[in-house]
Amino acid sequence: MGHGDKSGRPSKKHKSSTKEDYKAAAFEEEDAYYVEEFGDDDRDGDGEGKKRDFTKLELKADHVNRPLWACADGRIFLETFSPLYKQAYDFLIAIAEPVCRPESMHEYNLTPHSLYAAVSVGLETETIISVLNKLSKTKLPKEMIDFIHASTSNYGKVKLVLKKNRYLVESPFPEVLKRLLSDEVISRARISNEGDDGFAVSRSVGEIDGRHEELLTEAQLAAAAEEKEAHSFEIDPGQVENVKQRCLPNALNYPMLEEYDFRNDTINPDLEMELKPQAQPRPYQEKSLSKMFGNGRARSGIIVLPCGAGKSLVGVSAACRIKKSCLCLATNAVSVDQWAFQFKLWSNIRDDHICRFTSDSKERFRGNAGVVVTTYNMVAFGGKRSEESEKIIEEIRNREWGLLLMDEVHVVPAHMFRKVISITKSHCKLGLTATLVREDERITDLNFLIGPKLYEANWLDLVKGGFIANVQCAEVWCPMTKEFFAEYLKKENSKKKQALYVMNPNKFRACEFLIRFHEEQRGDKIIVFADNLFALTEYAMKLHKPMIYVNILMCSHIERTKILEAFKTSKTVNTVFLSKVGDNSIDIPEANVIIQISSHAGSRRQEAQRLGRILRAKGRLQDRMAGGKEEYNAFFYSLVSTDTQEMYYSTKRQQFLIDQGYSFKVITSLPPPDTGAELSYHRLEDQLSLLSNVLNAGDDKLGLEILEDDTDDIALQKARARRMMGSMSAMSGAKGMLYHEFRSGQKGGFGKSKPKDPAKRHTLFKKRFV
Amino acid sequence: MPQVKIIAKNFMDMVSSLPAMKLDKLYENAFICEAILRSLPPLAKKYVLQLLYIDVPVSASSLQEWVLVDGASKHRVAVDRLIQLRVFTETVDRKKEATYRLNLMFQMNLRKHVVHGGVLPREPMAANITVRLPSLEELDNYAAQQWECFLLHLINSAEVEVTTKSISPSMMKVFQRGLLSQRDNEGSRLTESGFQFLLMDTNAQLWYIIREYISNSEDRGVDSADLISFLLELSFHVTGEAYNMNTLDEIQRITVKDLADLGLIKLQQGRKDSWFIPTKLATNLSISLSDASSRKQGYVVVETNFRLYAYSTSKLHCEILRLFARVEYQLPNLIVGSITKENLYKAFSNGITADQIISFLQQNAHPRVAEKVPSVPENVTDQIRLWESDLNRVEMTPAHFFDDFPSRDVFEAACDFAREYSSLLWEDSKKMQLIVKTEIYAHMKEFLSHQK
Repeated sequence: MGHGDKSGRPSKKHKSSTKEDYKAAAFEEEDAYYVEEFGDDDRDGDGEGKKRDFTKLELKADHVNRPLWACADGRIFLETFSPLYKQAYDFLIAIAEPVCRPESMHEYNLTPHSLYAAVSVGLETETIISVLNKLSKTKLPKEMIDFIHASTSNYGKVKLVLKKNRYLVESPFPEVLKRLLSDEVISRARISNEGDDGFAVSRSVGEIDGRHEELLTEAQLAAAAEEKEAHSFEIDPGQVENVKQRCLPNALNYPMLEEYDFRNDTINPDLEMELKPQAQPRPYQEKSLSKMFGNGRARSGIIVLPCGAGKSLVGVSAACRIKKSCLCLATNAVSVDQWAFQFKLWSNIRDDHICRFTSDSKERFRGNAGVVVTTYNMVAFGGKRSEESEKIIEEIRNREWGLLLMDEVHVVPAHMFRKVISITKSHCKLGLTATLVREDERITDLNFLIGPKLYEANWLDLVKGGFIANVQCAEVWCPMTKEFFAEYLKKENSKKKQALYVMNPNKFRACEFLIRFHEEQRGDKIIVFADNLFALTEYAMKLHKPMIYVNILMCSHIERTKILEAFKTSKTVNTVFLSKVGDNSIDIPEANVIIQISSHAGSRRQEAQRLGRILRAKGRLQDRMAGGKEEYNAFFYSLVSTDTQEMYYSTKRQQFLIDQGYSFKVITSLPPPDTGAELSYHRLEDQLSLLSNVLNAGDDKLGLEILEDDTDDIALQKARARRMMGSMSAMSGAKGMLYHEFRSGQKGGFGKSKPKDPAKRHTLFKKRFV
Repeated sequence: MPQVKIIAKNFMDMVSSLPAMKLDKLYENAFICEAILRSLPPLAKKYVLQLLYIDVPVSASSLQEWVLVDGASKHRVAVDRLIQLRVFTETVDRKKEATYRLNLMFQMNLRKHVVHGGVLPREPMAANITVRLPSLEELDNYAAQQWECFLLHLINSAEVEVTTKSISPSMMKVFQRGLLSQRDNEGSRLTESGFQFLLMDTNAQLWYIIREYISNSEDRGVDSADLISFLLELSFHVTGEAYNMNTLDEIQRITVKDLADLGLIKLQQGRKDSWFIPTKLATNLSISLSDASSRKQGYVVVETNFRLYAYSTSKLHCEILRLFARVEYQLPNLIVGSITKENLYKAFSNGITADQIISFLQQNAHPRVAEKVPSVPENVTDQIRLWESDLNRVEMTPAHFFDDFPSRDVFEAACDFAREYSSLLWEDSKKMQLIVKTEIYAHMKEFLSHQK
């Protein structure tokens, strides 16, 4: 993180010139300190150099009763067994970024971004400091207090409000507005109708939010409830983007919060929709909504909930509160269907008020307000469109949307967001996601493109409450067979390394064993994930299971839907093989077992997303609650070949989940030593023929599946400096990689391995077979 | 350098291993006799009391008749113990029948004791002389602090500022022997036993040090029997009471000073007299080591993400954790670290085993997690063990490599020769190279020279 501006702290000069009296001198020495200490929230850094000694902090006499420690570098430790845990958690999640949240002790980081989020949900600098001080076992380090002051002095001070279709720049601090107006761009954008430099003054109601009551003194509480004066000036709607740009941290550093006073919006027509009575938001869903609608207006921002915790209900509820036209963006056609279904499920919206806009279905709603569900691609698409699509997209462009609802915001690259946001005019943006981690660190962009993180749920608390499944995670270590490992180590096979460790016969056997165990012993529904298409097809064919994958020319929506339908309803289809398409958005609520045979390098997000596929809680609530009948009701297996790259990646991948409090159990011998004769590849000859298969397959076939627009993946790819482009025929399925569906139990014929042409055998094996 | 085997036996084991002469001398002290009696297993106690006024030897067979059949094993243990301690003297007659009688000195002293009642080794001083004695809590803190300081000093931690007058360097050397290895250039390092020592609980550590102290006494010109008897005496003193230094002889005075450095005793100087106050460490000395009640409260919380939180202000704890974990934050009453592969590998290479680390973490588990089963998350313990076993996957065999054979015949013959001794580790017949175990290297050379 750079010095000064970018980190959200004002530079020294500007600081002492504008800011009141808090210890300008202190900043001289502190500044250097910040630059060193802040910004590396990545604690994978090694060496003892990271050790920090804060033993000099003064313990308060009653420290046992207080739940947290705060360090000068922004790290906060929270005891979860403290009686004040619940309050402290709600408070910390609002002001700090969670680093890890296992059972007994949580760690958080205060960052400029997290404080920005805190300020934007209405917490004030003094409130943050005083509550933090009350909760802390020690006296707050001076550095931290200064840091909070420095970070919050600018953030959240200015709001952009769209009121009766006038854009108003609003702030309770007239001096801040004056400062903004001293900027040329902004002053030119101003529409001044009063003729003088005075600001319009209105009254706005303070936060209706009693969360921290017990922690605040009565005086502070009274101050919060008091009506506040808001000063504002109006700007030219055409200049809004420019003004926003000028306010970003790299310019004036007063990032604007966007709020939508939807109740007073009389210009845009109302949409008749209410939540159905049976749609009962859960406590954490309520909480996230209350952050969004805390002051009676709708704030833009991101809500982070684990998969299966009911993100769609939050989205639909938000739309129902705003009651204006809503544009809902999803990542692919399957999830468009699912979102449309969710809207109909939870709200009483009329069927002709909701429509889907995808390449397959181009519907339009009737009336002057409605809900449109589409994909990011459809909106951002730059090429030529059909006449019909062009009409719809024109409508989308021209409409003033009350809510822009964005699903899975972490997968969509920033430039796509920019495009979508610039194309559509919306009063309020709500981003939904399960995991705010990316390998390319683009997350911070979201803070300014959409808005701050409004709420993030704690996974373990949701598990304890029975809201999401309690998953047993396991890492299965599969030793490489001698022959495969020898090939793996050869230099000439460097491009086949992945295929070799994925096709490791021991891994195959472990996978087969697990499938049999869960299908036969427990009657579970299983998803097997493989990124490697070669492996996916080999595994699925050998085991006679249906599979779904995408390639650019064969993205048949109908076929996918058909397989998923069979998986959901049929008693004979209990296992489905999925490629990366299944990572997110495809809703498969029935599945409760995941077996991951290959994965994408060290992507923490993918791991979390895949786990998310089985998080939806099943069975009865009381059985799932802590101490209930079933300890674990879902299983996540990650199969890794030992001594290969996979081991290294798997550690990295698990980091996010481990930080959420999940633990991976290592299983070293699967199938159990005394069994396994009935599994495939029991005999050496079979293993060797598999090996020759792998070695003979073209490099293009062994590659990864690349989904478009997944920059996160590309960031990972770059690290490996290899991007596979398949040949045309391979992609079109002409190489026999078509989608097949098998019924389990159906034997013979189709899936059997093709007779081998001995001439094609790898030299190594020739002599063994002759 | 002597190999230090750390076995946490108890004080009485030490006594019983003394040579017969010394033991007999020990029993001249009536007070020791009482201490020995107290330490005996219940059945052995009963035998001693039953035989106390019998002046003739009792045959083993009649002794045997006193017990029921299912008590036979206890009987054997009791008798063995008594013989070990030479409380029983055993004679075997011509018919190979064993008879027992009580050690005469022991018997006499104990009879006296029964008739005249017990005496304390020395009387505490009157309260009006010793003005301000430390409270029990202060004394405990003092003992803990002193012991910790000693341990820090022991492991030569450079950061420790020496607060108290430390143990004489020569004594320190004695204690460090086996725990630290001195290398000429790089200063001293903890040895395998040293690391293991640090992971033990206080009682076991104390016992180890005391044992060293006793076994070295002869070198310092102190009779080990005298020393043992004094230490036993000490354990009969009352914690927190003051005892006059006048009552001690020269050797005991030196001993008391040494013990004060370890925190077993606090020394105080009045206007006229000086006195010593035994701490809990001293009075617990003869208590069995596995006694759970003497164990301190745990302080370590280990999370499933390998984070480690230690509720402690102690520098020593921090040093100990550093043996196998990366310490990241130090707060006024909390140490935050994480267990990493690198740190564990370091620990393993220092000779600490996974089991020792795990049992350390379990024994010191914070009360908040101690009730949980397991107190240390399973995935963490599994992983620690897996990392350890990972290191053991490669087996080393010292070997020698041969190539440049003059002819294929010689090569084949060499292979056969090595095979005969089952010492052929590897051969490449194409390149005519082979590797054999070091044991037969000399034979192999000889064999090859004959071939030429």
